[in-house]
Amino acid sequence: MFLTRSEYDRGVNTFSPEGRLFQVEYAIEAIKLGSTAIGIQTSEGVVLAVEKRITSPLMIPSTIEKIVEIDRHIGCAVSGLVADSRTLVDHARVECANHWFVYNEDMKVESVAQAVSNLAIRFGDSDDDGPAMSRPFGVAMLFAGLDKSGAQLYHMDPSGTFLEFGAKAIGSGSEGAQQSLQESYHKSMTLQEALKIALTVLKQVMEEKVSGSNVEVAAVTPEKGFHRYPQNEVEAIISNL
Amino acid sequence: MATEVMEVGDYMRDPRKHHFSPYMDNGGTTVAIAGDDFVMVASDLRLSRGFNIFSREQSKIFGLTPKTMLASTGCWADVLTLNKVLQARLTMYSHEHHDVMSTTAVAQLLSTMLYWRRFFPYYVSNILVGLDEEGKGVVYHYDPVGHMEKLTYSAAGASVSQIQPLLDNQIDALNMKNVTPPKMTKELAHQLIHDAFISAAERDINTGDGVIIHTITKEGTSEEKIKLRRD
Repeated sequence: MFLTRSEYDRGVNTFSPEGRLFQVEYAIEAIKLGSTAIGIQTSEGVVLAVEKRITSPLMIPSTIEKIVEIDRHIGCAVSGLVADSRTLVDHARVECANHWFVYNEDMKVESVAQAVSNLAIRFGDSDDDGPAMSRPFGVAMLFAGLDKSGAQLYHMDPSGTFLEFGAKAIGSGSEGAQQSLQESYHKSMTLQEALKIALTVLKQVMEEKVSGSNVEVAAVTPEKGFHRYPQNEVEAIISNL
Repeated sequence: MATEVMEVGDYMRDPRKHHFSPYMDNGGTTVAIAGDDFVMVASDLRLSRGFNIFSREQSKIFGLTPKTMLASTGCWADVLTLNKVLQARLTMYSHEHHDVMSTTAVAQLLSTMLYWRRFFPYYVSNILVGLDEEGKGVVYHYDPVGHMEKLTYSAAGASVSQIQPLLDNQIDALNMKNVTPPKMTKELAHQLIHDAFISAAERDINTGDGVIIHTITKEGTSEEKIKLRRD
């Protein structure tokens, strides 16, 4: 299937005659190898849940960090090449801190997605600071946050496209998970319901049996801002599924 | 071989002092008073330099957003440039974030912009006024390098030393015993601004010709002009 593409999938900024950028498309494929991550937006806040792949019993699961804090009011879940996401997360944090410094207000979730997107599509460029990233970033991100317009969830892929969602799944189990989310999502959902649905869907799509140590759960709420759920609370939710 | 004559280098001459004075004081006075649901901001209309009057109808107040205004005095060239840059930043913000800047955000932006010029400052005294997120009137006072103070009233510019003590006394009831500060109304604010400018114009040649008063409420903005002595 890939043989016909050989002329045009070398340069990252070279269009094929059909108008495609193969390296970007391959990067989007890379996400499908990543672990599943889910985000659900409710009126009470936004929930993020990701699967952690424990590949060895000697591995310390707590060192896997796929949900990160961008600012007090924004969290981010990633799937794909997690190392690539560090650059983007750093950028998002700097943008948020700078926005606070200049305007003394929380940066909007959409603006954070826009700022990260601006960096994500700068692959192949080079400027006075030297060459930029030589290839597209191999990660998809879910930005969960609260701003003036309420609780919001944004998804961004390696092409830099970002869209707002009520609920979104990324990663290897995303197709099945997105289908399940479409069936169970409704606008009047509480945060507790969203937590339960996120873990139910993860349970359906994960190869391993879901437990307190192989999932990471966080939420952003008006009261607490970004916060992670400790292992015992995650286990309590799982036991009630 | 001929003896070489050494030329006298610049560094060997007597020292000469070079003057660089990029600033000018163009006078002008501004006053702002906030209430629970309004804010009033006023400036005189005289633009001058010493004994010369450049204009008798130059307002020093600039509309920034539907809820925010800036009153600037000092070096007029710096006032114009600062406002131009600030307007550009407001436009960029509204494009980037699909929203009009709040008064608190403009307040912080102005402070940041002024401090950015810490070592070659805009020679401008600023008062920013507006309605905050709850619709309450707010006044922010700045020094030329961006130190910001949130207040309920303030004066700035040429006649600040005449007007500020008057406001301190009449609004906050400072320097008086057994007096409770009055509740700020539009009528009281208007009266104080009117009297303050009349008195300042009597004593200060850099304030005069007229006053323009802007009022911001949740219904919108209005303006009024009052005459001052023109000598």
